[in-house]
Amino acid sequence: MLTAAPILIVWLGAWGLNTWLARFDTRLTRLLVALIFGATILILWEMIVRIYDVPSVILPAPSQIGASFVENRAILWTDFVQTILRGALTGWIIGALAAIATAIAIDRSPFLRRGLLPIGNFVAALPIVGIAPILVMWFGFDWQSKAAVVVVMVFFPILVNMVAGLAATDPMQRDLMRTWAAPYWQSLWKLRMPAAMPFLFNGLKITTTLALIGAIVAEFFGSPTKGMGFRISTAVGRLDLPLVWAEILAAAIAGSLFYGLVALIEKKVTFWHPSQRA
Amino acid sequence: MKRLILGAAAAALCGSAAWAEGELTLQLKWVTQAQFAGYYVALDKGFYEEEGLDVTILPGGPDIAPTQVLAGGGADVIVEWMPAALAAREKGLPLVNIAQPFKRSGMMLTCLKESGITDPKTDFAGKTLGVWFSGNEYPFLSWMNHLGLSTEGGAEGVTVLKQGFNVDPLLQKQAACISTMTYNEYGQVLDAGLTPEDLVTFKYEDQGVATLEDGLYVLESTLEDPAMVDSLVQFVRASMKGWDYAAQNPEEAAEIVLDNDETGAQTMDHQLRMVQEIAKLTEGSTGALDEADYQRTVDTLLSGGSDPVISAAPEGAFSHVVTERAVE
Repeated sequence: MLTAAPILIVWLGAWGLNTWLARFDTRLTRLLVALIFGATILILWEMIVRIYDVPSVILPAPSQIGASFVENRAILWTDFVQTILRGALTGWIIGALAAIATAIAIDRSPFLRRGLLPIGNFVAALPIVGIAPILVMWFGFDWQSKAAVVVVMVFFPILVNMVAGLAATDPMQRDLMRTWAAPYWQSLWKLRMPAAMPFLFNGLKITTTLALIGAIVAEFFGSPTKGMGFRISTAVGRLDLPLVWAEILAAAIAGSLFYGLVALIEKKVTFWHPSQRA
Repeated sequence: MKRLILGAAAAALCGSAAWAEGELTLQLKWVTQAQFAGYYVALDKGFYEEEGLDVTILPGGPDIAPTQVLAGGGADVIVEWMPAALAAREKGLPLVNIAQPFKRSGMMLTCLKESGITDPKTDFAGKTLGVWFSGNEYPFLSWMNHLGLSTEGGAEGVTVLKQGFNVDPLLQKQAACISTMTYNEYGQVLDAGLTPEDLVTFKYEDQGVATLEDGLYVLESTLEDPAMVDSLVQFVRASMKGWDYAAQNPEEAAEIVLDNDETGAQTMDHQLRMVQEIAKLTEGSTGALDEADYQRTVDTLLSGGSDPVISAAPEGAFSHVVTERAVE
């Protein structure tokens, strides 16, 4: 029990400090509270691992993970390029463009709507662990097969959102376009596309994380000797857990940046939407 | 919450499976198959029971690293290959070999004849080779070190594929060669319709780079507990009895393995063939580790180029404490 004393002191101290800070509702304190909370978690983690001598195979200390992150910068960068830029991003862009094109085709023809949407539903229900080995067989071991897995994973959520977005205008607005004799493409471009943007970006944001997961998990089913999924699965076998955690950290940072970037573009594109009025 | 954190920390502290007198948990290196026939026979035939042991056998799988299970306290004994065990030891996990039922290595590279590979020394450069990871890459890496080939690809080196748990890369010609075990994947390649004439095989044994496979390992701390050592002696004795029985009664052993296979994925033909191939590897082993074999494994791993699997000769990586008493 005595060994737990410093842990409790730090925890309760940081808690008390945050409670006290929370009384001043300024911009600075709001930032500080969040920072102190995050720092406390890391300090407590470090203390618990050191005081109780937890083997690094179970849980490495944040300092070990940080050291591994810095030390293995080159490896992490290679893996980032392979998995995120080549696998996830390529797949995400191809999947998104295909989904938008399909959504417009569905919008144009009731025949396709009745035929394609159920198939889209079906594809969306396929488990990734089922399709990944097959796609690795078809497209080889390198990043192309990972991109293919990502295409399958992101296609449907974007499609559903886009179809809903294209239906998001009022009949009154559409009638107005017709009154002005606007042809289909013009009314799509001037009225319905802009109106669909909040929906489209909703789909794009959801799928950023899906793309990352898809690219990483697909690497478990055969890969060249680089990539985040490869490294995570093999470094465990080599008991290099700090490297596994460093990869997880890199994936988390990449995922947050990816999401943030899409959210930022959304802000610029849908500035007119009520949700963007701060 | 506080209690939860403390509980988790305490659990991590214990570092070994909850242990009652005579209870042992064995973590296998791979899925339930005849590669582990000796242990399943000993369990089914009651050899463990006769010794007063209650043994639980945990099957492994493609992404299960037995060393990690042992470190996490999920098992008392593991079946592991020596290269992975020594590498883990160097990483700070004090693994000790207590017995070595497998005398010989069953590992080989199986290549398509059409790839034009006839001699590893001259023909591997520029080719793509399938390799297992999760600790099984070490023998391959040390072999490539011996040949002076980089594993980073290019015209002068070899391109390495992380091979899954099947032989597809060879069948689809994504790789010129893949890793196979004499007792398992080689048979799968033949079952897929290729004939031995279509293939060229390179056994690690013949290449002089064989490393010890399927040995039994425990943590150093386990050997400090006399009661635990007694249990291990009983365990090794009964297991070796199981191995002998499996070698003499291959059909029955294959049956027993099938009965224990909860996945239902294995077939009788396949398992029978495996028992017979495994018998060639266990033949002549009493369970005691032959130090010459150990030394050869260490030398293989130490030698070679820029990236040796272990950087220094291990100290105290094996112990005869158990086999001295188990093998009469």
